[in-house]
This record gives sequence, structure tokens and C-alpha cells, in this order.
Amino acid sequence: MSAPAPRTPGAAKAPVYAIVGNPNCGKSTLFNALTGLKQKVGNYPGVTVEKKTGTLYSQHGQPITIIDLPGAYSLAARSPDEAVTRDVLLGRRVDTAQPDRVLCIVDATNLERNLYLVHQVLDLGRPVILVLNMMDLAARAGISIRVARLSQLLGIPVIPCEAVNAKGIIELKLAISRHDLPLPRHAWDIPAPIAPAVAELQASLVANGGKAPLIARAEALLLLTDQDSVRVAGSAPLDAKTQEILRSWQARWEAQGTDWAGTLVSSRYEAIGRLSSEVAQSAGLSAQSLSDRIDAVVIHPLWGWVVLATVMTLLFFSIFKFAQAPMDWIGEGNAALAGWIRGLMPDGDLRSLLTDGVIGGVGTIVTFLPQILILFFFIGLLENTGYMARAAFIMDRLMSRVGLNGKSFIPLLSSYACAIPGIMATRTIEDPKDRLVTILVAPLMSCSARLPVYLLMIAALFPGPAYPIAGKVAIMVIMYALGTVGAFGFAWLFKHTLLRGKPPLMIMELPPYRLPRIRDVLLHMVERAGLFLKNAGTVILAISIVLWLLATYPKSPAGSTATEQLAHSFAGRAGHMIEPVIRPIGFDWHIGIGLISSFAAREVFVSTMGVVFNSESGGEDTASLRHALGAARWPDGRALFTPLVCVTLMVFYVFAMQCMSTIAVVRRETNTWRWPLFQTAYMTGAAWIICFIVYQSGTALGF
Amino acid sequence: MSPALQTALALAIVAVAAAWLAARALSRRRKPGCGGDCGCAPGDLKGKIARGGRG
Repeated sequence: MSAPAPRTPGAAKAPVYAIVGNPNCGKSTLFNALTGLKQKVGNYPGVTVEKKTGTLYSQHGQPITIIDLPGAYSLAARSPDEAVTRDVLLGRRVDTAQPDRVLCIVDATNLERNLYLVHQVLDLGRPVILVLNMMDLAARAGISIRVARLSQLLGIPVIPCEAVNAKGIIELKLAISRHDLPLPRHAWDIPAPIAPAVAELQASLVANGGKAPLIARAEALLLLTDQDSVRVAGSAPLDAKTQEILRSWQARWEAQGTDWAGTLVSSRYEAIGRLSSEVAQSAGLSAQSLSDRIDAVVIHPLWGWVVLATVMTLLFFSIFKFAQAPMDWIGEGNAALAGWIRGLMPDGDLRSLLTDGVIGGVGTIVTFLPQILILFFFIGLLENTGYMARAAFIMDRLMSRVGLNGKSFIPLLSSYACAIPGIMATRTIEDPKDRLVTILVAPLMSCSARLPVYLLMIAALFPGPAYPIAGKVAIMVIMYALGTVGAFGFAWLFKHTLLRGKPPLMIMELPPYRLPRIRDVLLHMVERAGLFLKNAGTVILAISIVLWLLATYPKSPAGSTATEQLAHSFAGRAGHMIEPVIRPIGFDWHIGIGLISSFAAREVFVSTMGVVFNSESGGEDTASLRHALGAARWPDGRALFTPLVCVTLMVFYVFAMQCMSTIAVVRRETNTWRWPLFQTAYMTGAAWIICFIVYQSGTALGF
Repeated sequence: MSPALQTALALAIVAVAAAWLAARALSRRRKPGCGGDCGCAPGDLKGKIARGGRG
């Protein structure tokens, strides 16, 4: 299959724009501002990189397609994301037409660094619009940019912009609507010894690859610097003749012992340096900004950890302090609803399904909504202020000591919300071994699905308001820390056994601090509430209904007690079947039912306990699950949910791989069943062993 | 409502729920990943996490 024919640059009809820029430059915000809800999200075929396209209408009402390309520092690709950006711009992808025009987004606070990619894009010879984003932050940092002079030097429109405040968007739309966008005019003298190599490769790409002369020249320059090292599926390969020419030049330079590729990069940097010094001026460079002064404490090797621990403690304190009243209201609402249904219907299966299955399952999980909302409100605040990047910086020090790639931080951080986006975020890690280690340990970070389990166990551990919040907070912090330490420990183990290798260095940007935009934070919180309720109202509802059947059928002989009925049921038999395995860690068959059902998703454990203990109470009351757990007994009359069992159960959920969706995603990302099966085995095995140690040690010590 | 009718209705609801879960598990997702069902952060929030709070 051949690459699609390039469009005529600046075509008058339905032009396609590509948005390119460095990571963190505000590219996605601008894409959203330009296209609104008119977006399509998919994947580039054969490669796990997200493809986002949207439609913008010009001032004349003409539809304009916009492709949001993955962030890149340079077209010399180092990761699959960057390779996709490079390939789309060079017209190498058979599934994506080469864009007619390019919107280059740069972070005005880091102009010089961002101009490297712009410089490479200008080589393509396509109409380019340069967007200077974050002008407000640049002004605050004392950086002034001569926009008109920059436009004059590059020969392209330059639009100052503040994407987050929607400033400059109209001017940008007007520029995009222009039919007569000029071609770039930028002077860059390629070092003389390299010029013959560029010319030969360019001629070959035109003759053998069917490329336009300017695109061929840009590609020749790129081939000489990145050696065509990173290729992804869907990328049209180089023709044999060009490959031969490239290899011969590489061999010639190696024989000469000269690094012309490095020289080429340096000469580009020199050109950018001259340009930057002419258009940008920074006032008060020597003075420390407010962000710098705050960072002196927040990312300090000692105080940074103190601040992080304080922030986490405050976060969990807020969860326990402010959520209790609304949780009680929801619990009372559940009980009132169940009572109303009982008053309405005589005893029977439908009534039992509604009160024990639906209200017992879904109602119980919805009780945790206030705590989840508070958690995400604070996470939103931390993101908005810029603190999250500092937390990443602090953690990176620790991660590098266990051999984790610095780029693993974002996937691991995302895994605190959910392991699935975390695992998908590992696509940015270039080294396959580092990526695999990160995938293997990401599900150990305590995701939000574990939160209801922790909260239920903490409620059983410290029933009632008489117990101090500090104890509850401490347990929660310990569980989160345990997951993190576990992830780092296993990463260290894998990096020193199965997947040896040296981690590369990571470069991380620390954005300036800013006041949080409460509206954004609240919006995200509402989105979270919607997702949580959707999940409770669909998947958890369906699982609770099926679980009710499994806990109710087959019916035991008439006159049996509720406990005998549950033991006689399908769920009870399954619980009994695994009891010999889980008894050494303090769990009985009731908990066994929860462990089996929560293999679908961890939070299902809570709804399962709701169904199981409501069924066992014979449907006569829907006392809060907390009290039901407190009343649960072993056959010999001992309490089931002792403090030690509650802690052991939490530890089990910290380590065990109780998530079908995560297993499926690991299968897809690693393209084999070997790694998800290994991951399930090591995590569940580790969970059992650690729980055994905790429970048996605790029992021996008299807890 | 008679107990027999209650049982029939309850079993019908269970059958619908089980069929929906099975269809959901067997169908190929148009979008990769959890589709938001796992309670994870939406795309732009994940992006913001990744970018440390900057758009």
C-alpha cells in the first residue's frame, strides 16, 4: 500500500491542520477550545497511540479538520508517540493524510526550548501558524516577547494566546480561516560538510519515495540526526536506495570519527539561540520567583517529604471528617427505601431482590460517594495549583533508587485513580523492559476502587464516632504507603532479576504555582460523581442482581435459617470451596464469596458483603453493613471481623490482582497472556503470603 | 403480589442482568481501556495529572 498523496499546501478547500507542540505547552486545551465537542478519539492502527481529530468552522462557515498530534520535543523520535507525530507530518502514515497546514503551539515561558520543534516543522515547507501560549505566565515571569518581530523573522503569523482563559482564540480562528497563509521564511545554514549528504538523501527521497522537495529535505535532515531509529506500525518504510545512502553516510562519518549529526543539531540550536535572543527578553532573571521560593521547601530532599506526608494526611483527614454526615444520610435513605418496599410488598423473591440485592448492593456502594467526591476535590486542587508535578519530582528520587524509569512516575500516579489509564500511560516509556516493569507494578498503587473496601474495613475497625479520626487517617495512609512501597519493592526485584537494565534519566518540567480554578475542580468532581454513579447503576447493579440469585438459590429445605440458606446457595458453596485456602489468613466462606465476586472489580466486595449479610439477616432489616459485619460470627461464636481480620483484608486488597479489566488491558498492552497471568499469580500469591504473615503474627501476639 | 409471580419477575430481572453482563463482557469495545467503567479519571483529568496541572 502506498502513502496517500500529499495535499496541495494551503489548499483552498477543507484544509487539514495538525496541532503540534512540546508536552505541557497547552496543546490539548487549545484543541478543545478550537473544536469543542466536535471531536473523534481513536487509535492509530497497529500502534497504541491515541488519535484525536476535531472539526472547527472557519469564519466563512467552512469545516476545517484538526488533528491533535502527540506532544514531542523534537521530530527525532524517541518514543512511539513522537514517532507518530513525525510520521504524520512527513506523510509516512498510510492511515492519515499529511496535514496541509500546521499549528505550532509553544509555551511562551520556555520559548527557546519550544522553538526546536518549531524550527524542524518550518523545514517542512508547509504553512505554519505559531501560537505563543501561556502569555500570561510569561508576563508574570518577566518575559516579554516581540511578537511582530518573531512573525517577521519566521515569515509566518504568530498569535499570542492564553488557551486556559480563552484569550487569543478568536484571533487564532481568524488566522486559521485565512486562505492565503504564507510559507515560512527562516534562514538556517546547514554546515557545509553535511550539505552533500542532505542533498543526496533529498534527491533519493524525491526520486524513490515520491516526496515533495521540501518535505524530502526536512526528512533528510531528520534521518541524519535520528538515524531512523524508532519506527512504529503503520509507518511507511524508507525505500531501499535511501536506506543505502543513509548507511553509507553513517559509515563514512564513523570512519572519519566525526559527529556530523551532533553538529547538525548544534547548528540548529545556535540558529534558535540567535532568534530567541532577538525576540525574547527576560527581566529579573537573577531574582527568584515566588514559585522558586515555594519550591525551595516543597521539593527539598527532607522538607519535601514532610510536605507530601502533611498533604496526604490532610486529604484523608478531610475524607473522614466531612463525609460522615452525608454518608449517614444516604444510609438512612437506603433503610427508608427498603422499609417502604417492605411495606408495599408481601414477602417473596422480588421483594428480597429489591431490598437485599439492589439496595443491599448498590445502596451500600453509593454510601461511599461523599468520600470519593472529597478525595477528588482535593486531588483536583493539587493538580490545579501545580503541586502534583512537585510530588512527581520528589517521588522520582525514590523511584530511581529502585531502578524505575523516571517516566514511570506518571503511569504510577495515574494508577492511584485507576490502573488502566496508568498502564496505558506506559506507552511513553521507550525502554521495553522499563515499560514492562511499570505495567507489572502499576496495579499495586491503591486505586479508587480499593477506597470503598478500605473505608468499610476502617468503619468495622473503628465503629462509631467515638474513635478518633487520627486512627482512621493513619490506617488509610498506611494502606496507600504499603501499596506504593510494595510497587517499588517489586520493581526493584524485577529490575534485578527478570528485567535487568539501567533506567534512563528523566527531564521533568515544574509548572509555576497558580491559584486553583475552583470551577474546574468542581467540574471534575461532578464528572467523577457521574462516573461513580453510572458504574453503581449499571455494572454493580447487574452484578448485585446476579449475586442475589447466587446467594438465594438453590433454596434450602423449608424451616432452614437464613445462614443455612446462604450456606446452601451457589455463592455459599463457592465460598465454602475456597475456605480451606483462605482460612489460614483469617477469612471464612462469607468473605470468600466477596473475594470471588470482587475479581470482577474490587469495589464489588462491598456490595457483595451488602448482599450476603442482608440475605443472611433474612431480609428483615437493612441495618448498616458496618453493624452486620460487627455481628458476623464464626460457627464457634468468635467474632469474624476482628481488628486483625479487618487489617488483613485491607492488606489483601492492597496486593491482590482483583480486577478483570486490568488483566485485559495488560494482555493488550503486552500482546501476550504470559505477563497478565504472571502478574495475577505474583500479586495474588504475594497477597496471600503477606496476609498469612500478618494474620498469623497478629494471632500469635494475641490480637 | 403472589410469591410465584414475585419469583417469576425476580428471575426475569436476573436473566436480563446476566445477559447484559455477558454481552458486555463479550463485545469488543470501540474505545480501548475501561471506558470509564472502572471509576478512573476522565481523559482530560488524566491529562492534567500527567501535566501536573497545566492545560
